[in-house]
Amino acid sequence: MAGKVILLALRAALAWIFLKAGMLKIWDFAHWRSATPDFTLAIQHYQIVPWPDLTMLLAVYLPWLEVITALALFTRRLRLGAITLFSGLTIVFLGALGSAWHRGLDISCGCFGKDEVSTDFPAMLTRDLCILASLTVLLAVEWRRLRRASASSQGVTQ
Amino acid sequence: MIARAFRQLAILLGLALLPAIVSAALQLQWNREEPLAAGEVRIAMAREWGDKAIWVDARSRAKFEKRHIPGAVLLNEDEWDKLVGPFLDAWDPDKEIVVYCDGGGCEASTAVANRMRDELRIGNVHVLKGGWNAWLGK
Repeated sequence: MAGKVILLALRAALAWIFLKAGMLKIWDFAHWRSATPDFTLAIQHYQIVPWPDLTMLLAVYLPWLEVITALALFTRRLRLGAITLFSGLTIVFLGALGSAWHRGLDISCGCFGKDEVSTDFPAMLTRDLCILASLTVLLAVEWRRLRRASASSQGVTQ
Repeated sequence: MIARAFRQLAILLGLALLPAIVSAALQLQWNREEPLAAGEVRIAMAREWGDKAIWVDARSRAKFEKRHIPGAVLLNEDEWDKLVGPFLDAWDPDKEIVVYCDGGGCEASTAVANRMRDELRIGNVHVLKGGWNAWLGK
């Protein structure tokens, strides 16, 4: 029972993080305007995506992907995909952060809208590694749950 | 199990497409229709001024040194006292001043433009709509 509560809390915390990150990259609530231009700029600052049109597409699409996937964490049918997707996104983002740090770029993360101005790479990398570790735990638990469900349904049909 | 994960992943990627498309369409509409505030100028007009404009970069020194509009003068709030002298050396009262910062929600250019009007009594100061993004053509 305690384990279930902890897992639910972990899912809720991760969902909140990604939901907030997505919403703040869609809309600048402080100035009541679209946050897409600021997020486009944040992606450009990483100097990884060479094509401006692709940068803009990512700036529009990624936040909505974060929001939809965060909500999917609470559905049984899409939970595995949601955890997998967030794990992949976090790994990609860790790579981008590491690359920016290695190249000595002075940038803001862009993770939570334009007001996040930190360029503290060790802190950001630590934060995202913790997120990845939490996702790995959830992935393992979900995998086990689905395998059990699959095994028991095979047992019923036999 | 892996197939299930990828199937769900594909569903999520597809579900996110619809609001993203709507968002993109709205974004394009807003970019076309957003009116100018008082004291703002669009990039097309500012470019037409050519040599009759002095570009002022209100961003940080680090960003300015990384890249800036050719010929721009750095004047930001953080180093105002140090930079206002060189700006005044470059200033020509017959030229239009165009102040820019990052664009989007950046307010540094507005702040610098206001200080120019209030403290330096320079009247023909304009804030570049869309800032650095507009210069890059975004």
